[in-house]
Amino acid sequence: MRVSQDMEACFLCYIYIMFQKILFLTLLSSCGLFLTACTSEPQPQQTDTLRLLLSANPSILNPILSTDSASSSVEGLIFNGLLRVNEDMQLVPDLAKSYTISPDNKTYTFHLRDDVLWHDGHRFDANDVKFTLETLLDPKTNTVRRSNYVINGKPVKVEVLDDFTLQFILPEVYSPFLIRSSLSILPEHLLAGQDINTATFNMAPIGTGPYRFKEWKAGQHVRLEKNESYYAGVPKTDHIYMPIISDPNTALVALEKQEIDRSSLPVKEVPRFIDHAFINRFHYYDLMYTYLGFNLDKAVFKDRRVRAAIAHAINKPALVQAVLKGYGKPADVPSSPLLWSYPDNDDLGFPFDLDKSRTLLKEAGYQLKDNYLEKDGTRLGFTLITNKGNREREKTAQIIQRTLKLIGMDVEIQVMEWSSFIKVVNSPDTPKAFDAVVLGWSLSMEPDAYSIWHSSQYPKGFNFVGYKNERVDALLDAGRLETEQGKRKTIYAQMYKAIVTDIPYVFLYYPESNVGIQKTVNGLTKPGPAGLMTRIENVYLQP
Amino acid sequence: MIFRRILGFIPLIFGITFISFMIMHAAPGDPTMMFVDPSVQIQDMAQVKANLGLDKPVLVQYFFWLKEIGKGNLGFSYVSGQPVLDLLWERLPATLLLSVSSLILILCFTFPLGLLSGYKKDSFFDRAVTFLSFLGMSLPTFWLGLMLLLLFSLRWSLFPTFGFIDPFLEDASLWARAVSVLHHMFLPLLTILIGGLAGLIRFNRFSIIEILSQDYIQAGRARGLSERRLLFKHAFKNAALPIVTILGAGLSGLIGGSFVIEYIFSWPGMGQLGVSAVFARDYPVLMGSILFSSILIMLGNFLADLSYSKIDPRVRIR
Repeated sequence: MRVSQDMEACFLCYIYIMFQKILFLTLLSSCGLFLTACTSEPQPQQTDTLRLLLSANPSILNPILSTDSASSSVEGLIFNGLLRVNEDMQLVPDLAKSYTISPDNKTYTFHLRDDVLWHDGHRFDANDVKFTLETLLDPKTNTVRRSNYVINGKPVKVEVLDDFTLQFILPEVYSPFLIRSSLSILPEHLLAGQDINTATFNMAPIGTGPYRFKEWKAGQHVRLEKNESYYAGVPKTDHIYMPIISDPNTALVALEKQEIDRSSLPVKEVPRFIDHAFINRFHYYDLMYTYLGFNLDKAVFKDRRVRAAIAHAINKPALVQAVLKGYGKPADVPSSPLLWSYPDNDDLGFPFDLDKSRTLLKEAGYQLKDNYLEKDGTRLGFTLITNKGNREREKTAQIIQRTLKLIGMDVEIQVMEWSSFIKVVNSPDTPKAFDAVVLGWSLSMEPDAYSIWHSSQYPKGFNFVGYKNERVDALLDAGRLETEQGKRKTIYAQMYKAIVTDIPYVFLYYPESNVGIQKTVNGLTKPGPAGLMTRIENVYLQP
Repeated sequence: MIFRRILGFIPLIFGITFISFMIMHAAPGDPTMMFVDPSVQIQDMAQVKANLGLDKPVLVQYFFWLKEIGKGNLGFSYVSGQPVLDLLWERLPATLLLSVSSLILILCFTFPLGLLSGYKKDSFFDRAVTFLSFLGMSLPTFWLGLMLLLLFSLRWSLFPTFGFIDPFLEDASLWARAVSVLHHMFLPLLTILIGGLAGLIRFNRFSIIEILSQDYIQAGRARGLSERRLLFKHAFKNAALPIVTILGAGLSGLIGGSFVIEYIFSWPGMGQLGVSAVFARDYPVLMGSILFSSILIMLGNFLADLSYSKIDPRVRIR
């Protein structure tokens, strides 16, 4: 019996050895295959299709309903607004030829182009604009943009004068309104009488833009084709193929394999793409700033000297180097160097000075004991919260924690899941359940940051730090009433100065974006937060 | 009898959906909380919430949901406004293709390998299989997937980096499209296989070892049955029993898809839909997929029990 078992074992051993040999041969031959594949040239690229990656499946292709960036990058190619933002961050005419503002600054008259067709051949006119605004104002529409067209509780009225002339009549003077007229216009003839929230239009939209919608395969891609009757000229590239690639690492591989034409580059990968054989690297400031915000209702932050001490203890240039690998700039005001509203004087910051921090804290009555500062027996410290999933903010929080320890502050970091984070920050209670926060605000071209700084926006609103300064309130109101850009700039410069002096936030940095684009792509506009393809109809491929 | 068990599913489904609904609403956040942008006003969020019926008590919301389910309506996504059933349906083919083929391949590999390695316990072969399967189990999927992408796609240009099918093949023959799908499927499949094989091989090996040490095998051996007969006729069937249970429980996984795999390889499956619904607090889509998978778990267990009774005559369904 034993013998037979051993024989069986031998047999199995034999099979096993054979198996090994086969495996080895397979590996060898596949290696050969790899080698031949390695030497093969990449396939010739098609010149009629631009491949622009989407980082997520779009949610809904309706510009008044969508809130995600994937949807808006598709919508930007399909729809137009009355005005558009150009590469210099200026508002320029799009569907409107021109506009005038009445002397009382309440009536905006737009003269529309009469040569614009919807993708289905129907002519675009003023009624489409009226329809779009009215749909937006309808409470049944699930949009978060309604308030943009409601001024102090009263909606903006639209009056059609003739087919190609219309007026927006504001209930009161409100200069941030002009940027709102870059709103994408929807076709009335296709959407009138439908439930805008669930219309099939939202999955196969029809616009006036340079590209018309062709196909959307959920989770796979969106495809567009050129609009032969585009008012600004027939686009130079026939098709746009937008594959959905969520993983940024995969996107990078796809870019390097020349499977897509454009991808953003994470800062640590940037060096590989400088002087790359077939990819150009571009960089520009994002329209945003990152900050450290103090809950001004908390006892510890009521003393300005404590806030100033923290501001002086943060080495912003070092932060930019460590967190952004140098791709960014220390921030000083709640604006962006790209915007017209950015103040000319830039001596508003708090220079890095640990000795000054220590002096300020001493003046505030804190004594050093066992390496930590104390006052009346309580240790000086706070909890710093930020949201999970943003490595830059987490890293920033850690660096702040370390530097503040140098001056004797005990900082604890709490990284929270986004919705828990929002729940804390947006809770209607006073004081809110946080001490300090690392967060970023994205900016638009419009400097009116009423919801962030006005005292009426606390506790409900985005002024969650509880900032209150009557002068700032007054300047915010004044900024809304002034329509001339130069005068507005002066108003906002005063406001920024007041805010910086009060230190509700320590402004940390303006980050930069890095983008890699295949060298075959031509006709780009200059790099900026609106991207390099602001005139997509001029983009063409040349191998 | 079978009918009675199916009837028993109904209260279970009520229970599962009720509890999931409550847990979902207990989690912080709601669909409008995702729009934190200084240009968005609180009153707009409140209006959207009211439009979606989210301002009503949770219990009332649950009954509304149930009522619609009764009418065969899974509701509309809060985010995209599309019917939930459509959203789930369009994700199903890619998910099923990947999960079913990986399951079949895993079965084809695990049974022989587990059997052999259990039978030859402590041999060099067994040790090698054990080592490799531990390696397979311990490699994190997201890392493995990326490494395979770097190697097979970027370095060697053997397989495409992303997607399900070459989008420019829409007019091509069925054959060409099938080849394209297989080509795209290779890397995700390989990643799943390396992780998936390992566990089941271990399981199979263990159950073979256990069965082979039982008295009836020894008795069979004493009576002079050939090893092959012993192994394949007498041991294999019994060793397969626990695997059937595992597979039954895993049936819902076939539909659920794997988020990590889908994320890395841009595979248009259910996993991505589910995870993005969680982040967006898209309750109808979440409830739809929970309903789907709970039905499948029950069905899976039921099928496992049925096949149990086929394999093992001692088991009878009552």
